[in-house]
Amino acid sequence: MAYVSMGEAHRRITEYLNRFCDAVSYQDSSTLCRLLSFSSNSPPLLSLADALNVFQDSSSLIRQSDRFSEYGEILAHVFRSLQSYRVGNLVEAYLAFEKFANAFVQEFRNWESAWALEALYVVCYEIRVLAEKADNDLTSNGKSPEKLKAAGSLLMKVFGVLAGKGPKRVGALYVTCQLFKTYFKLGTVNLCRSVIRSIETARIFDFEEFPRRDKVTYMYYTGRLEVFNENFPAADTKLSYALQNCNPKRERNIRMILKYLVPVKLSLGIIPKDELLRNYNLHEYTKIVQALRKGDLRLLRHALQEHEDRFLRSGVYLVLEKLELQVYQRLMKKIYINQKLSDPARAHQLKLEGIAKALRWLDMDMDLDEVECIMTILIYKNLVKGYLAHKSKVVVLSKQDPFPKLNGKPVSS
Amino acid sequence: MISDCFLSWGSFLLNTNLVIILSSFSQPGAAVSTSNDTYWMHQAPSLQVHHPVPPQNNYQSPLETKPLYETPFQGHQRATYPQEMNSQSSFHQAPLGYRQPTQTAPLVDSQRVSKVQIPTNPRIASNLPSGFTKMDKDSTAASAAQAPAYVSVSMPKPKDHTTAMSDPGTFPKSLRGFVERAFARCKDDKEKESCEVALRKIVKKAKEDNTLYTRDWDTEPLSTVTTTNVTNSESSSAQLSSLQNKSPTRRPKSRWEPLVEGKPFVKPASTFSSAVKFGVWNHQNENNKKSSESFQKVDAATGFKPTYSGQNSAKKSFQRPVKRQRFSGGAATAIDDEASSDSDKDLTPYYSSAMALAGSAEEKKRRDSRSKRFEKIQGHSRGNDLTKPKNANVGNLHSRRATALRLSKVFDESGSRAVEDIDWDALTVKGTCQEIEKRYLRLTSAPDPATVRPEDVLEKALIMVQDSQKNYLFKCDQLKSIRQDLTVQRIHNHLTAKVYETHARLALEAGDLPEYNQCLSQLKTLYAEGIEGCSLEFAAYSLLYITLHSNNNRELLSSMSRLSEEDKKDEAVRHALSVRAAVTSGNYVMFFRLYKTAPNMNSCLMDLYVEKMRYKAVNFMSRSCRPTIPVSYIVQVLGFTGAASEGTDEKETDGMEDCLEWLKTHGANIITDSNGDMLLDTKATSTSLFMPEPEDAVAHGDRNLDVNDFFTRT
Repeated sequence: MAYVSMGEAHRRITEYLNRFCDAVSYQDSSTLCRLLSFSSNSPPLLSLADALNVFQDSSSLIRQSDRFSEYGEILAHVFRSLQSYRVGNLVEAYLAFEKFANAFVQEFRNWESAWALEALYVVCYEIRVLAEKADNDLTSNGKSPEKLKAAGSLLMKVFGVLAGKGPKRVGALYVTCQLFKTYFKLGTVNLCRSVIRSIETARIFDFEEFPRRDKVTYMYYTGRLEVFNENFPAADTKLSYALQNCNPKRERNIRMILKYLVPVKLSLGIIPKDELLRNYNLHEYTKIVQALRKGDLRLLRHALQEHEDRFLRSGVYLVLEKLELQVYQRLMKKIYINQKLSDPARAHQLKLEGIAKALRWLDMDMDLDEVECIMTILIYKNLVKGYLAHKSKVVVLSKQDPFPKLNGKPVSS
Repeated sequence: MISDCFLSWGSFLLNTNLVIILSSFSQPGAAVSTSNDTYWMHQAPSLQVHHPVPPQNNYQSPLETKPLYETPFQGHQRATYPQEMNSQSSFHQAPLGYRQPTQTAPLVDSQRVSKVQIPTNPRIASNLPSGFTKMDKDSTAASAAQAPAYVSVSMPKPKDHTTAMSDPGTFPKSLRGFVERAFARCKDDKEKESCEVALRKIVKKAKEDNTLYTRDWDTEPLSTVTTTNVTNSESSSAQLSSLQNKSPTRRPKSRWEPLVEGKPFVKPASTFSSAVKFGVWNHQNENNKKSSESFQKVDAATGFKPTYSGQNSAKKSFQRPVKRQRFSGGAATAIDDEASSDSDKDLTPYYSSAMALAGSAEEKKRRDSRSKRFEKIQGHSRGNDLTKPKNANVGNLHSRRATALRLSKVFDESGSRAVEDIDWDALTVKGTCQEIEKRYLRLTSAPDPATVRPEDVLEKALIMVQDSQKNYLFKCDQLKSIRQDLTVQRIHNHLTAKVYETHARLALEAGDLPEYNQCLSQLKTLYAEGIEGCSLEFAAYSLLYITLHSNNNRELLSSMSRLSEEDKKDEAVRHALSVRAAVTSGNYVMFFRLYKTAPNMNSCLMDLYVEKMRYKAVNFMSRSCRPTIPVSYIVQVLGFTGAASEGTDEKETDGMEDCLEWLKTHGANIITDSNGDMLLDTKATSTSLFMPEPEDAVAHGDRNLDVNDFFTRT
């Protein structure tokens, strides 16, 4: 830390105070954003933090002028938070920032127009990021992390301020997205429901009027929620919306969306091209796609095992596991085609014994009971048309379209 | 008659200063000296027990007797507790209530007692006398000579309430006004006390002069009071103030308890009802306990912290409660004897004057011999006063109780602090109970160390439960009490884990999922603390539980991702994971194979899913298979034969019958072919299959809350 003289410190602090008050009085949102964006680590903010650590009595400076003391509470908390942030005390920084955010939201509520919306976004973002950092600190010190949870309830409060009618509603979706991020991180996604309800049921505000950035994020998260619920058609529409509207230059974002969209599409019987997986670095799905194409059950199981951790964490494991039935279908089709070549007259009669043999080639050791069980499931789920003659242990396939394609419809339950 | 005597005495409890001062002078032989307070204190019970003597003996003037008769219920309420409480409690209650004022009255919060007002309930009151017969034989000791002792008891200063409570006909209104004015002039407790003494003198004198009703009290100069008093009370007030400092009467403010100073007795009703509950519970086990138990509670909740000795040194005032209470649960007869023998030993200086009053050596002798009768009990309780619980006679209820009460009194004191101020380390109980069996009772107050078992006993208790042949309800009850004892003693070790594991297993066996869940959540924290246990076994259970019951994908994913590679090698965990795979894919063949080979209690959790799986399977079959499926195949595939019974023909048919029964109740269509084999007509079944309403379903959804079940538990 470079040495800062008293006078210099005094100058810097006064300058910040002046800029803050100017920004508020001229309703200059972008300046205000810059003044509050801690995580940007911008040089002016860092030098201000150093100045604050030298010039301890900043509150007297605030009190000095009526102009400053009007926002005295807000500014005092900002200074305290910045000071702690600078010296690495993130928990203290969070606590002060939370107080500041409360005061700021109160002030924001009183402002008629929504000019400070951008600044509010910054506050929302900063508090979430700061809370995450503080929680990291707390966990490494063996204490229970709870700041993110607190940030969540503060964000909920902000959402309440914005969710009503009027010009401020435009900002509601941004806060919703911050809430999603918080809840997904905390693992309390069920809390998302109330926010979603108030966004989706509101008739007064058209969803399309929200900023595109927020719409994409919103669709991404709600799509993920639908994946959890195994509601694949809905997940498909939401994630596809996100994909179509996101910034095509942001490859990382596209990859994030595809990570969920690919399994969803697979469950609907739509197989992606290899280039897509290659271009967006989605190697974990390559083998699974291959297994689906070939009807190779063994390959599917290997692929699942190989990336089990990753799939479990992202939450697509169960979705991918369910692809097994489609792999069986593919395998059956292959057996059927094979049989048609050798014995066209009896092509639509598949012996269970034969299926079991095919599975044995794939190192899947199953007895007839188990094969029969899988066949009943396939027929029940309409992946195979036909019936199973229990007595003769034969699957009798329908002569018309015995292996119907899913074509974007989910496997019936 | 008996009741009259009691009632009149009871009225004393609540009648306040004024009435007492005044009425005290109805006793010709009354000794007014404050030093008699002590004496009175110990004699109170025997006096009270005194019913063979007609009340008229005590109260010569009908004028005085009358109010005491008419007001009984007000005072009575304090002594009247739930109906099933017998004389012991009410009897014991009385002296406490009495003693309390002796200590607090002139000193501190005078309003406390004076504002006591309880709704009258004559029905309860009418029950009381019956209990008194017990004490008749001891009452002989109480003679007319002792009666006056009662007189000198000072009660808290009356305020407006006093007037409302006492019978207006007793004394001239003007006299009351005079007394009130006199008290109003007092600046502090010390003054009040001396004022009180002075007032007594004045009233007594007036009585002797027969000017009580003739004198113009309205114009009587108050200076007579203030001038006569000071010298009189100097010494005693000094004593008292030292006591006051140490007295536990003053409670710090707590949001949890009603503040007594403001409006005492705000909650007597609820307290009483809780006392009733307590009583009922204990009644089942130990009759003796209940009165003291409920009594203690009432005492604590109403804020009537009994601070006993009026004139004893402060130190003694702390010891005495224990000794007093020790017998509260025991035979009622013991109380007065114990009291007197105590005073023989501890209070000789104060006792002497009382002795003089009691008069004869004969009386003393009689008392001595009486106290000797209880030496046995005393021995136990004395031994118990050492905080070495292990020395305590296991079987002796009284003595265990004694320690308990003393300690619980300590807790009462600290319990009145705000929760966040409580030093939990200091409060952690160290159990002394040596009994292995204990019923579970949800704590409603601070735990009582005498009923809490230490770790070694709990270990035995756990083994007892594990070896027990009794039903689940018994075991559940026992385990819950063990868990409670562990919790209040804050024991977190392998034993805790073992207890929860045992309980979880038993709960699984009995299908008691709520209890199982409680145990599991505890076990999770215990394992997280690094306590060794069967963590993998329970990891498997929780996996199965999520798969089969909560059906929450996210939860399933997170619990699966928490398993390490090492964990997945464990047999139980592996089995649970295979079950999950079978369930998600609907592979019923696999499911029932796993069901038969389940390790540990995994099959118990699977049990709960069997019905759904069978239904699913028959549904699949009837939709997919044509034209028929032999029932024998279903028997085999859907696990209608027990794993152990496979192979024997007899059991096979059992499975067949079970299966047929199951199919019928689910609406399946069964036909018989030419060979007499039972077949499932799949086409017909595919449309007629249904899931029957569970027979044991209850409206509120939790079978365990069934009323009948509740009764079998209790």
